[in-house]
Amino acid sequence: MHNKSYATLNVVGLAVGVAACLLIFLIIKYETSFDTFHAKKDHTYRVMSVQYNPDGIDYESGVPFPTGASLRLDFPQLKQVASIIKADGTLLSFNDDKTNSIKKFKEDDTYYTEPQFFNVFDFTWLAGDKKTALNDPNTVVLTQTEANKFFGDWKNAIGKTIKLQNKTDLKVTGILNDPPINTDFPLKVVVSYASLKVKGSDYYENINNWTSVYGEHYCFIVMPDNQNIAQFNKQLGGFFKKHVPPGTIKGGMQLQALSDLHYNADVGKYTEGEFSHEKIDAIALIGVFLLVIACVNFINLATAQAVNRSKEVGIRKVLGSTREQLVFQYISETFIITLAAIIIGIAVAFVALPYFNKLLDIQLSTGFLINPQVILFIIVLLIAVTFLAGFYPAMILSGFNPIAALKNKIAASSTSGVSLRRALVVMQFCIAQVLIIGTLVIISQMNYFKNMSLGFAKDAIINVSMPSDSVSLTRINTLHDELLQQPGVKDVSYSFASPSDNSNWNSNFTYDNAAKPANFQANMKWADPEYFKLYGLKMAAGRIYIKTDTIHEIVVNEMLLKKLGVLNPNDAINKSITVQGKKALIVGVVKDFNVTSLKKQIPPVIMACYKDVYQVINVKVQPADMKQTLSSIERIWSGTFPDYVYEYKFLDKKIADFYKSEDQLSQLYKIFAGIAIFISCLGLYGLISFMALQRIKEVGIRKTLGASISSIVYLFSKEFTVLILVAFAISAPVGWYVMHKWLMTFTYRYPFGPGIFIVSILASVIIAWITVGYKALTAALANPIKSLRSE
Amino acid sequence: MIKITNLEKFYRTEEVETIALNKLSMHVDTGEFVAIMGPSGCGKSTLLNILGMLDDPDEGSYVFNDIEVAHFNERKRADLRKHNIGFVFQSFNLIDELTVFENVELPLIYTGVPTGERVKRVEEVLDKMQIMHRRNHYPQQLSGGQQQRVAIARAVVNKPKLILADEPTGNLDSSNGNDVMELLTDLNEQGTTIIMVTHSEHDARYSHRIIRLLDGQTVMENIMI
Repeated sequence: MHNKSYATLNVVGLAVGVAACLLIFLIIKYETSFDTFHAKKDHTYRVMSVQYNPDGIDYESGVPFPTGASLRLDFPQLKQVASIIKADGTLLSFNDDKTNSIKKFKEDDTYYTEPQFFNVFDFTWLAGDKKTALNDPNTVVLTQTEANKFFGDWKNAIGKTIKLQNKTDLKVTGILNDPPINTDFPLKVVVSYASLKVKGSDYYENINNWTSVYGEHYCFIVMPDNQNIAQFNKQLGGFFKKHVPPGTIKGGMQLQALSDLHYNADVGKYTEGEFSHEKIDAIALIGVFLLVIACVNFINLATAQAVNRSKEVGIRKVLGSTREQLVFQYISETFIITLAAIIIGIAVAFVALPYFNKLLDIQLSTGFLINPQVILFIIVLLIAVTFLAGFYPAMILSGFNPIAALKNKIAASSTSGVSLRRALVVMQFCIAQVLIIGTLVIISQMNYFKNMSLGFAKDAIINVSMPSDSVSLTRINTLHDELLQQPGVKDVSYSFASPSDNSNWNSNFTYDNAAKPANFQANMKWADPEYFKLYGLKMAAGRIYIKTDTIHEIVVNEMLLKKLGVLNPNDAINKSITVQGKKALIVGVVKDFNVTSLKKQIPPVIMACYKDVYQVINVKVQPADMKQTLSSIERIWSGTFPDYVYEYKFLDKKIADFYKSEDQLSQLYKIFAGIAIFISCLGLYGLISFMALQRIKEVGIRKTLGASISSIVYLFSKEFTVLILVAFAISAPVGWYVMHKWLMTFTYRYPFGPGIFIVSILASVIIAWITVGYKALTAALANPIKSLRSE
Repeated sequence: MIKITNLEKFYRTEEVETIALNKLSMHVDTGEFVAIMGPSGCGKSTLLNILGMLDDPDEGSYVFNDIEVAHFNERKRADLRKHNIGFVFQSFNLIDELTVFENVELPLIYTGVPTGERVKRVEEVLDKMQIMHRRNHYPQQLSGGQQQRVAIARAVVNKPKLILADEPTGNLDSSNGNDVMELLTDLNEQGTTIIMVTHSEHDARYSHRIIRLLDGQTVMENIMI
């Protein structure tokens, strides 16, 4: 009976541990598999821009447009050079032959690239010639899914045309297999790079510009085998000096290995959610921890059981079993239990995988078992756990003196297993507590973000995107009035971006007729004056600028003045700022509001009217009748811009997305900390059951001598409380150190005080008491006669 | 001191009901030394457990010092027990993890005797039992005779009115056994009532009176001269 419940505890604990470990293994395998399928991956590098700021070095993913062509000329030894730019929100339309109507799509994963791109990266072509398909301007290559979407069947797509941004016809010259999920180049629509050089293209003005850097314009190169990277980086410095006009950009260029692309949070890439090496290490460590906890349980429970089986060992020995036979017997028993646990664990992982995919926004397939690495992992796990959990108890059991064992004289203490088990319990609780502390800190930091004042209102505001061509811009005044007439619309404002946005425009500027531009860049928040009211921005000095079409008056934020060394905001009023080639007076100073995510410091901000660049309609709506209001906004918008696709986003949702990766991490931690606590409790429960059995006689004696029930319960809980306190003494500094380091990556940090430690120790003590309490009470309530009768 | 009337105790398993005590009546006066004898399964241990308030009877009356205790709840029984009754077992039942001193000290802890007083009384009784020199040893380090002395020391440290001894010499050689019987006799002469279950006619001769049980009933009483 007891054996059965021990076996259940063993199997459940290990199965949960194995399932968690498998999932973690899969996540890591997935995250480390990005863009590893390209044959030239080890020699592929991205050229990135480097900027020297007073605050340090900034790495920028993009390079000026002419970079690729010049690299080819200046460094003929390079095996490949390929430029690519992502054009977010590109409008594509085509004539649907069946219905004879125009269909429109907004496609974020639209790229312009050179044919060389497909020499560097190995994507599979279903149709078309990868060498020539993208040679000519106004050609396009579609992925299979995209081609099916446009033309019903990709096989009919070659030679057809689609319209780009309502103006340019693109001829389909190739079809790509859908890129695998584990690439940071989620291609869908690939337009020839040559199309950019046609007059009227979106980037035509800057195509030969060395001073303008688009963050999404990357340049990849394939290095020759024997090239020294450090040396080439030096040469890139010279290359930069040669081409970039002096005095415009303080910086240079550097290589970034393709293998760094997916993990580096400092430099951007085309996909969201970088998975840094630190995160991989953290999650791997958690996986190892969980497995260790589960194995510790196994060892604990197995050795605990060993004592109860001493009589069996005695009998077997008397009957002639050799020590080797006994060791083999116990090892094979452990093997069977381990195998059962692993099989259950795999089943659990199978069931849990879809939830993990959803949580982490990834796509792991349930067919993972076919993978040889996973099979190897499972086999290694089986052998390792069997050995770890089976060998020690097997040695102890088989070493018993048969006579002593028969007389049941093997007490728990005489096997020296007790102190080992205590150490193991301490270890388990250390791990669980570190995870509890980590989880609490992450949750607190997340809540801190969510509740921290951003310096502007974000509720019930939607951001609607808007075409920014000259024809569309002529209609925005009418649109403004029409929108305001809607009963659910409170305010309408046009701007380049929302106060906190992914899309940021940084520019040099000159303050107060200085001889040189300021030595730092400012973030341009081009917006009409209504913007201030709509977002509730507060003024520190002066007034809001008047409504104009071009830059006429300027408002700056406090940070800008702080960086310039202007102490009193009023001193800045009526000083001039030259920006974007225009000189205008500062009429007001706005209080600092958060511009990017709270992970970063507030940058200096310049605000002014600049109608030509507006691309966002900010609409404040009444919370009541939201649905009605949203649909009328869409109707009016579509009536104003019939050739474009309507898109909107709630600002609070957009801001929440800034913290998506942290949110996911915190979810992950919560789950794994929960699992760690669960497994630890199983172990604790097993151990207390065993102890209760071992000490049943002692409890009987004590009760005969007059011990009360509470004193017996105390006897049991005292020991575990001490163990937990010991564990806490170890885990608290470790947890503090690790989480302090993590918090340092944020500019605005949750004040990490003793509260978290108090909560975590209380939580673990209470959880342990609940676990231990039932068994201790049962032991205390048992009739002492029974325990004393076993003569 | 003890008066039991028509005491009944049954043991039930799923299939059978065994009668351990069958309308048993007896009495023990203060200062008596009574031996209870009988074959295995006659109900000796059950009787001793009920007398020691470790178990309660199913039917009948048990009056201890003029108090009816037959239907006391566990807490009340424990309270009465720890102040009035000391136990001596065949297998000593010492706690292996505690020293001689700590084992003897236990009953005083449970009756709430202050520390200073406890040390005094434990030392006193260890001295009387001539095991003072073993006070810091663990039970495993002692001989059987010494262990039983510790057990008796523990039984008497609280100065109980009644000592219940369950085959106190069962695990001892005859010389050590005689020593233990002498100790019990001394205690009895100093006024402690003793009820002892035994198989040994030799040991029974130390008592004033022998009660013989068979199938849960008294079959004979011998008064020793």
